[in-house]
Amino acid sequence: MRRTRMIGRVAALLAATCCLAAAPADSPVNVPEPDGLYAGPPKGYTPQTLQGAAVIDADTLAGLMAGPDKPVLIDVAAPDRKPSNFPEGRLWLPVHPSVPGAVWMPEAGAEPLAPAREALFYARVAELTGDDRAKPVVVFCHVECWGSWNAAKRLVRKGYTGVRWFPTGVEGWQEAHETANLRVDPAWAAGSEPQAGR
Amino acid sequence: MTHRIGNTVIALGVALATTALSGPFAPPARAAGASDTDQERAARWQEIAKSIFGDRQIAPTETLVKIDAPVRALDAALVPITLTMPDSAQIKAVSLIIDDNPAPYAAKFEFGPAADPAELKLRVRVNNYTDMHAVVETQDGKLYEAKQFVKASGGCSAPMGMSDEEAMKGMGDMRMKFADAQPGKPVEATLMVRHPNFSGMQMNQVTREFTPARYIDKLTVSAGDRTVFTMTGDISIASNPVINFAFKPDGKPLQVAASDNAGGRWQHSFTPPSPTN
Repeated sequence: MRRTRMIGRVAALLAATCCLAAAPADSPVNVPEPDGLYAGPPKGYTPQTLQGAAVIDADTLAGLMAGPDKPVLIDVAAPDRKPSNFPEGRLWLPVHPSVPGAVWMPEAGAEPLAPAREALFYARVAELTGDDRAKPVVVFCHVECWGSWNAAKRLVRKGYTGVRWFPTGVEGWQEAHETANLRVDPAWAAGSEPQAGR
Repeated sequence: MTHRIGNTVIALGVALATTALSGPFAPPARAAGASDTDQERAARWQEIAKSIFGDRQIAPTETLVKIDAPVRALDAALVPITLTMPDSAQIKAVSLIIDDNPAPYAAKFEFGPAADPAELKLRVRVNNYTDMHAVVETQDGKLYEAKQFVKASGGCSAPMGMSDEEAMKGMGDMRMKFADAQPGKPVEATLMVRHPNFSGMQMNQVTREFTPARYIDKLTVSAGDRTVFTMTGDISIASNPVINFAFKPDGKPLQVAASDNAGGRWQHSFTPPSPTN
């Protein structure tokens, strides 16, 4: 695990220092799908595709939500991180506006993800879909955030066939739709353990 | 002075353009005072106002202070804000609150005898579509609020696009630009401070570490021994702070003293131009 992370870091360093203009991931087009889950920096250009899942925009999502087979909405955006040296007593009041009705499981798209967290993610999705692998499931976070790509990929691998990846996420949604402020899914919060470096 | 007239014309133009946005290009309708979102926003403002101002009454105003901000910001990490306070002699202080930022209390400016607070500009980070509030305190100790909705998101965590070392180069350097001075009139000035104003929410994309918060928490401008203003700042102020203000010159240099939350201290002195006719 440690080793892969190191390699990831070195790769990211190389990408950042030597091939800024040429590297495909530095352009919004032509970002290839990684072979497995993506372990690079969580913010950045994402692929335009996800094999085994449909890629949808905000209008399509609104259509799905208005349709007969309501999708399960899963938001994996990271919460606002309180600075470690934020002054004591100063007002800190983070909010997380999102798609109304979504279930917020912050950083379920992290890679690596602790095995217990990964198991909890699958368990929660199974619960939310009523164990129906064909149920429409929409996964999102923010625009240019790999978390939703990874989380959607995890569900595809698990055998879900109705996975929709919504890459523009909260930013794409709020352009034309009302948001609702979400709290972290209680089951996800209860199973919470600090993630390294997050 | 021509500056200010120019701004008014631009602001008017923006207002007209906004009004003209009806029909197919109209922004999505926000039900007048009725939607859940509006109620949520109002409740949040109550909570914030209580936390900052306690039980003091805050009356709405359309004249004592006005916020001009782009309805849709191009860069959420650099949103230009103009606070207009035409009855400048009445204004003792102004607070800027960005309701849906995780640290909502962006800045407070307390004005001294050398200030002309008619117009104040600064650049801020906006993390979510949000109401923004300006609260002025008048000389008689009363509070008045104005509100403006701004569409921008992700400004607090947006990486600076360079290494921390690069961003910290020349930290504390300052420049000041003065508009032309006319006898007996306030002088407009623009203060530019080199400082990353790290929010503490920015992840270094290479090391994956969060850069600790490091921001200007106090900045005082004075003309001789008379204060123009003291700003109490926060992580919502954009990197490399730029502040436009006006002051009443008395021939002495302008002194700027700034400090940050990590113990940085900087002082600079600038000589304003002599009045010309």
